Amino acid sequence: MLKVENLVTRYGEKRILNKMSFKLDKGETISVIGESGTGKSTLGFAVLGMIGEVSENSKVEGKIEIDGFDINKLDKEDLRKLRWKKVSIVMQNIDDALNPTITVYKQIEEVLDKQENRNKKIIDILKKIDFPLNRKDAYPHQLSMGERQKILIAMAFISNPEVVVLDEPTSSLDTETKNKIIAIIKKLSENKAVILLTHDISMAKKLSNRTLVLYGGTTVEYAETKKLFKNPRHPYSRGLIRSYPDSSRTKDLQGIRGRAEFVKTGCPFYKRCTQAIDICSIKKPKLLKRNGSFIACHRGGIIPLIKMEKISKNFGKLQILNSINLTLFEGETVTILGKSGAGKTTLAKILMGLVEKDSGNIYLENKEVKRFDAEYYKKVQMVFQDTRSSLSHRMKILDIVMEPLVVQDIGTRQQRTGKAKKVLSEVQLPSSRSFLNEYPHHLSGGEIQRIVIARALMLEPKLLIADEPTSALDASVQAKILKLLNNIQENRGLAILFITHDLDLAKKVSDRIVKLENGIIS
Amino acid sequence: MHISLKNRIKKDKKAKFGIIIVCVFVLISVFGPILVKDPYHFSIDYLRLPVAGHILGTNDLGQDVFARLVYGMRASLLVAISAGFLSTAIGTIIGTLSGFIGGAFDKVMMRIVDAFLVIPAIIFIMLVAAFLKPGIMTLIILISLFHWQGGAKIIRGQTLSLKNKNHIVSSRTFGAKKPYVLMRHIIPDLGNILVVSFIYNARAAIFLEAGLAFIGIANLSTISLGIIMHNAMKFYYLPVWIWWLVPPGIALSLILLSLTFIGTLIEKIIDPRLRNA
Repeated sequence: MLKVENLVTRYGEKRILNKMSFKLDKGETISVIGESGTGKSTLGFAVLGMIGEVSENSKVEGKIEIDGFDINKLDKEDLRKLRWKKVSIVMQNIDDALNPTITVYKQIEEVLDKQENRNKKIIDILKKIDFPLNRKDAYPHQLSMGERQKILIAMAFISNPEVVVLDEPTSSLDTETKNKIIAIIKKLSENKAVILLTHDISMAKKLSNRTLVLYGGTTVEYAETKKLFKNPRHPYSRGLIRSYPDSSRTKDLQGIRGRAEFVKTGCPFYKRCTQAIDICSIKKPKLLKRNGSFIACHRGGIIPLIKMEKISKNFGKLQILNSINLTLFEGETVTILGKSGAGKTTLAKILMGLVEKDSGNIYLENKEVKRFDAEYYKKVQMVFQDTRSSLSHRMKILDIVMEPLVVQDIGTRQQRTGKAKKVLSEVQLPSSRSFLNEYPHHLSGGEIQRIVIARALMLEPKLLIADEPTSALDASVQAKILKLLNNIQENRGLAILFITHDLDLAKKVSDRIVKLENGIIS
Repeated sequence: MHISLKNRIKKDKKAKFGIIIVCVFVLISVFGPILVKDPYHFSIDYLRLPVAGHILGTNDLGQDVFARLVYGMRASLLVAISAGFLSTAIGTIIGTLSGFIGGAFDKVMMRIVDAFLVIPAIIFIMLVAAFLKPGIMTLIILISLFHWQGGAKIIRGQTLSLKNKNHIVSSRTFGAKKPYVLMRHIIPDLGNILVVSFIYNARAAIFLEAGLAFIGIANLSTISLGIIMHNAMKFYYLPVWIWWLVPPGIALSLILLSLTFIGTLIEKIIDPRLRNA
């Protein structure tokens, strides 16, 4: 019914939509989600053939086919006829969308032009949208936001169009009204092809069966809605979902690092992506089908950072770990929950190469780890349980924080000092000379914790193993440290393997929780 | 672990005494020879009781006993420092490597240490010394070769415990190799124990050197406190012998006592449980 192929739109020099393609059949709803400015509304205007009216020096390439008509090839008069009858839109800005000088009844009537049975149709739709009939002669300013929104929806649906574009139909509405509107849209949009343009993830979840994630005018991920929200594969999709409040998720909100920027070459997201590699800045990734959904990513979506396969460990006759399988993806926090003695720390130490495993394999970025060498430790770092003892009492803060670089022989002393100062400020510690010359026993537990985290970050690892990192801290300091870890994860795409016995804490910090009991992960 | 050494010393009278005595010894050893007569100078003025010009009298060859005492103290101190350092160094190398490398190397090394522990060092040194009639340098080497084993065992034990300390494990998780961990973490952390080991080895060396010289197993042409006392014994029928025996004896006792006091102080600093004892 609706077919968009290689759609490119430009406002002047700036390319807004970049080769978008998708198809929509009768009865289907597709959500297009993305941050502000990614080109959602432009897509809406393009489908209505209104790009030329939005901006004069605009250009549209590609094909938009509605019921056999190519929108881009129609002249103004044909387009006008097509609008409302075949394709309609619910505008984003409720205040300006209605004419303040005429009643809402008349405004709906305008859509119908000179059709017969106008009154019956209007009354019909007003009933469907649950609008009080005695208020049909009200002026827009006499109505509430929700009521005005309903009128806009009525206008879009009254002439029974085949394609309806909903541009943020519920923004600025309260939850109750929003839910009512969603129910109405759901009822009205049967047998229609609906494009829902929104940044409201909960609405996309409720209304659509497929979701398209738009970034920088490019489709980065396109999949079934349920699948996408449960398991987003593109780093941007995950970032977007993570930043949206959802009562079923207990982890704190996280944003996406950096800001949306116009990128000329390469993947539009590479500057903000935490797993970008060289090619990402050079070549634009193609939208390819992987496991039933489409993803545009050179790395095939979020990469599995570390994979443990059938890890077993016995201490004498005591079995600690029995064939553990666990995969950690880039930028996610996985908590290993278990009682004391369940083998949590043993598992962490096996990952750090401090305890030898009896059997099983470890893969780092899909490569088997054969030796725990300097290269491995550049990517995997650990924060030990008893943090104070993990600092040498002889060394000053600066030397402690710089030690990983000294060991790995990276940079000159000056560069190392500079880096140490930068990382210290990242963990919200002072980098003044007097502080750098302190000894660890002069610092508080919270400061020590930050020092240890800073030290672990010096090598810019991709995985941080945190073994009960806050067990010795009071609640308020703990909260700060956890927030800090969360922010670092947002900025660096750090994967965190969090080890704790505290369920509430685990819920608060992690994307996934695995339970370790009797040597088995569940 | 950060303890103000100054405050500790201030509180500990014995340690203060020890440090003062050691300082005096060092001063005498360094500047003494400028002030006193030539201890090798013969004269016909022999077997004298103390007079002006010869504070402690003269010996059977007419040499000034006081000058010989000063030079003797110098020799004792030289033995103490050199043998103390050398035996501690051997003990450190063997102890840390055994503890750190572990495995077969550790087992072999510890059996060697055990062997050295059961061989009575004094008798062995006496046998060798009786044959070699050693000068100071040979004696230092000889003492060092038979005096590292106790320290090695203590250092090994400490290395074993340090090796699994969190901050050392941490440095391994940055990719540190064994030499780095050993040189940058383990040996500096052993610091206090090495100092104690040095002091006790030095003390033992002084005592051993004096003892060997006293019973005559040394090159008698050299000067040391033990040799002065050894010579005194030959003239026990004359009144002068007491002046040859007692001052070196007192000097020897003082230095041994001082070193013991200092050693105890540092031991207390290392082990907090001893502090109030």
